[in-house]
Amino acid sequence: MDAYIYDAIRTPRGKGKRSGSLYEVRPIDLLSRILSAMQTRNNLDTSQVNDVIIGCVTPTADQGANIGKAALMYAGWSDEVPGMQINRFCASGLDAINLGAMKIRSGWEEVIVAGGVESMSRVPMESDGGALIYDSEIHTKVGYIPQGIAADLIATKEGYTREQLDAYALQSQQRAAHAWDNLYFKDSIIRIYDRNGLLILDQDEYLRPNTSLETLATLPSAFQKLGDSGFDQMAMTKYPTVEKMQHLHTAGNSSGIVDGASLVLLANEKKGKALGLKARAKIVAASTVSSEPTIMLQGQIPAAKKALKMAGMTTKDIDLWEMNEAFAAPVLKFQQALDIDNDCLNVNGGAIAMGHPLGATGAMLLGTLLDELERRDLSTGLVTLCVGGGMGVATIIERV
Amino acid sequence: MIYYKKDTDNIVTLTLDMTGRDTNVLNHEIVEAFIPVIRHLQEERDKKRLRGIIITSAKKSFLAGGDLEYLYKNYSPEEIFGFAETLQQFFRDLENPGVPVVAAINGTALGTGFELALACHYRVVIDDASVMLGHPEVRLGLMPSSGGVIRLLWLLGLEKAFQVLTSGKRLRPQEALQAGIIDELAKDEADMLEKARQFLLSTQEGRRPWDIKGETIPFGTVKNPVIASKARMLGANLIKQSYHNFPAPHAILNTLVEGSKVDFDTACRIESRYFTQLIMRPETRNMIKAFWFDYNAILSGANRPKGFGKFRPKKVGIIGAGTMGSGIAFECLRRGLEVVIKDVSKAVADKGKEYVTQQLDSYENTGRTLPLSKNQYLERVKTTDTSEDFENCDLVIEAVFENKMVKTKVLQEAENHMDRYSIFGTNTVSIPITELGAAASRPENFIGLHFFSPVEQCPLVEIVKGKQTSDETVARAFDFVTAIKKIPILVKDNWGFYASRVKNTYILEGIQMLQEGYPAALIENMGIQSGMPKGPLAMADDLSLDLVLRYEDLAAQHYGTKYIQHPAVDVLKIMIEEEKRRGAFKMQGFYQYEAQQEPYLWEGLETLFKNTKVDFNTDELKERLLFAQVLEAVWCVQEGIVKSIPEANLGSIHGWGFPAFKGGVIQYINDYNLERFLLKCKAYESDHGPRFKVPKMLTTMATEQSVFV
Repeated sequence: MDAYIYDAIRTPRGKGKRSGSLYEVRPIDLLSRILSAMQTRNNLDTSQVNDVIIGCVTPTADQGANIGKAALMYAGWSDEVPGMQINRFCASGLDAINLGAMKIRSGWEEVIVAGGVESMSRVPMESDGGALIYDSEIHTKVGYIPQGIAADLIATKEGYTREQLDAYALQSQQRAAHAWDNLYFKDSIIRIYDRNGLLILDQDEYLRPNTSLETLATLPSAFQKLGDSGFDQMAMTKYPTVEKMQHLHTAGNSSGIVDGASLVLLANEKKGKALGLKARAKIVAASTVSSEPTIMLQGQIPAAKKALKMAGMTTKDIDLWEMNEAFAAPVLKFQQALDIDNDCLNVNGGAIAMGHPLGATGAMLLGTLLDELERRDLSTGLVTLCVGGGMGVATIIERV
Repeated sequence: MIYYKKDTDNIVTLTLDMTGRDTNVLNHEIVEAFIPVIRHLQEERDKKRLRGIIITSAKKSFLAGGDLEYLYKNYSPEEIFGFAETLQQFFRDLENPGVPVVAAINGTALGTGFELALACHYRVVIDDASVMLGHPEVRLGLMPSSGGVIRLLWLLGLEKAFQVLTSGKRLRPQEALQAGIIDELAKDEADMLEKARQFLLSTQEGRRPWDIKGETIPFGTVKNPVIASKARMLGANLIKQSYHNFPAPHAILNTLVEGSKVDFDTACRIESRYFTQLIMRPETRNMIKAFWFDYNAILSGANRPKGFGKFRPKKVGIIGAGTMGSGIAFECLRRGLEVVIKDVSKAVADKGKEYVTQQLDSYENTGRTLPLSKNQYLERVKTTDTSEDFENCDLVIEAVFENKMVKTKVLQEAENHMDRYSIFGTNTVSIPITELGAAASRPENFIGLHFFSPVEQCPLVEIVKGKQTSDETVARAFDFVTAIKKIPILVKDNWGFYASRVKNTYILEGIQMLQEGYPAALIENMGIQSGMPKGPLAMADDLSLDLVLRYEDLAAQHYGTKYIQHPAVDVLKIMIEEEKRRGAFKMQGFYQYEAQQEPYLWEGLETLFKNTKVDFNTDELKERLLFAQVLEAVWCVQEGIVKSIPEANLGSIHGWGFPAFKGGVIQYINDYNLERFLLKCKAYESDHGPRFKVPKMLTTMATEQSVFV
């Protein structure tokens, strides 16, 4: 029994700081807003939804107490709909979808809404104070380094230059700007209004469409200081062929800190028909893996390979790819490892240009991919993210 | 044992005076003696006949630390944990009689001794530069066990407590006041007791901050994101400092981090558990062995020739105002000796005095105190261009250029002005003492005194006896070295002496790995991660590749037909002869050196020695680098180059930076287990050649099932 995708929507991304447009908006508002939009767009009888799975990476404070169920209640969905929040770090949103697909394929459930939310301005990254990061015994023992250092480690090991990383970042900015200018995203963006119906944000605000290689080159290294404080040595304990860490990632070639939410509507074919919905794509394969946790940002490679194998496909069977731009180096490494044509990867830009609202990103990427497959009238797409702790998650979809 | 005195203000003074001992020690005996005292004090308090308590000592020192012998020999975690908990309860009882308690600290209080002071509400100390305070436990791989970590956390906040505990510094009273671990200084004993009384009359608060509801840890706990991320950095920094090799600073940080999240008593229990785990770790035992037992064995003078009275040097002549000479001059001065610095001209000799001035300034700038004032020290330095000024010197040390002619010349000049009791020490690194001594008019007074660079930081001096050196001279050299608070080890006059010879095997093993196809960066990282201060290639560059090769030449001469050439010699020859890369002094060696830039590994190495080893076992590479040294040190013991195991161990740690957490180069074998060590050597011998063949001494020991002590 296959799982089909009927809808995929997302909020615009606000800058994840006080000056960001969505800072004044509670994360539960972001989520409720797109829950309502999903209900309206699909004329959905919410009581027919079996479960709502929401990815959120820092599920504390405004995002605590199971924001999945909380948002359902606030949005006025049927009392019969359960909701939960999951955390697989940066892939939470995609894993929510994969889990939903598994529920449907098991035959035990029929309609699932999955997605994610993250207000990085309201609930700062790592503010949940986990042992992996803040317990001095644990983080030193397992060698858990900040992700920026891990990205720099990949760049150092692979011998990437600053110019290469910046060139990639520039491409992301240009592609994202082009996509926005040409309204590629218009059908999937759910505007955010205030309680009086006044518009707060209708498009991604992190972009810097006018940036240039020269401007990017002036940005200081973002992780040098952290590296000097001892994380470089933690990295080199695991990777002792490194003579000296090169701290090449900057604010310009790393993903942006932003706020946003995203949702996908999944169902089996029969139930979809019964609800009067039109399937847009089918989930062909979904994988979850883990790899060496110190370098951390390479799990997308085995994840994608595993998904391809599951689907009986090879690289060339995939028409378009979305690999989350957490940092430039892991994308370059991924592209190189799977030998992906530059014209097929992150074709409308990514998190470097538009931002990475942690828990929401996975479902955003899946929506972006589906939109573009339809626009180009192509068939297959693979979306993947590198994940903290060395994990990786990938999903292959095929239009129907 | 505990004298009890109560005055008209209902203030009780408890004076510690343990019978049959020079110092008060915190052991079971004193804890038991305190039980009835505490009970009585509680009764007095209940009857409202107690205003406050002063604890002081009748000895010269206040209270010494715990019982290392007991801990070292104890392998039961239950007992160690029980011991820590008992002491902890004692301190809780002491700080909880419901009235304030003052520690009137009349002398040194270190380690557990200082923990007692921390368990008092207020600490007054006599301001005397001979008094030392604080927590040096970390130097022995230990940490406080009885609430000391948690009390400092509550007194200073996490970050400062971490600094105090992990620096292991013994603080003078003024430094301790600045660090915030004591409250007030006093002029003398009467002033101290008066200040203690005044404090007790000023307050009736008998609770510590952690026993008062609403009181919090200064600057916050790790629940505060700012402190949390500081603590995270501190953890990362420990890896930077010493990779995962020293467990004690980690245990201290972890106790502070975890302890900041829970109540005081739970936090103290977490401390006891970390402490117990630490005692059970081999690194801790190795460090206690080296820095306590081996250290005391050496200083007890077991190897000092017997029958000669103690030599008390007052004035030292130093020839050569270079880095080495100036360093020696400063160390002598700092330990109370007068110094005469001689060089080719007074202007050059003045450079030595300039250096001493800089060092004194840096003491002042960093808040470290010395017994005398800067001017008093400078008055004790004389600079000169003539040996005539050596007339009243008890000993003269030369630290001139490593050249036999130059050394002979300065020796003969100096001897003309020295009396027949004075001794002459040479700081040569490679010329045999007997050979140099042959030129002396009083060869019996001539001896090798091998200091290590930087002199201020390296506490070791190799004493090398030439054929004609008298036993009395050896005894005097020993006394001189201990007078300047360095560790003397007696070494045979042989090629490379001890330290240089063994250190060279580390360098050669690293160079050989290059030849085997391991990437240079990997070799360097393996060296550093194994606990050595630098990578082998960096050490080769520092020493100069010529000198590394020269030691091998000396070995070849010494062993003759028995000499088996080290495979790394080929690499050295290529580097020196073909590539003309001879080391840091030439700005090119295994590294490339450029002005204002960190040296980096020379790119040409990859072309010369192809990186063929893609898969590697890091544990084995690290081990090989240490095994090479361990085996050479055993040869030295077998050949009598070094006289005792404690000397071999401490000599290795201080002489060339062999990892302290291994307890030194010979303790390494005990730690590894002799039988396992022999098996591993056999495997290395078949994989890498005869340099891993074990000296006969080891196989004999294995048969006899003996261990090194």
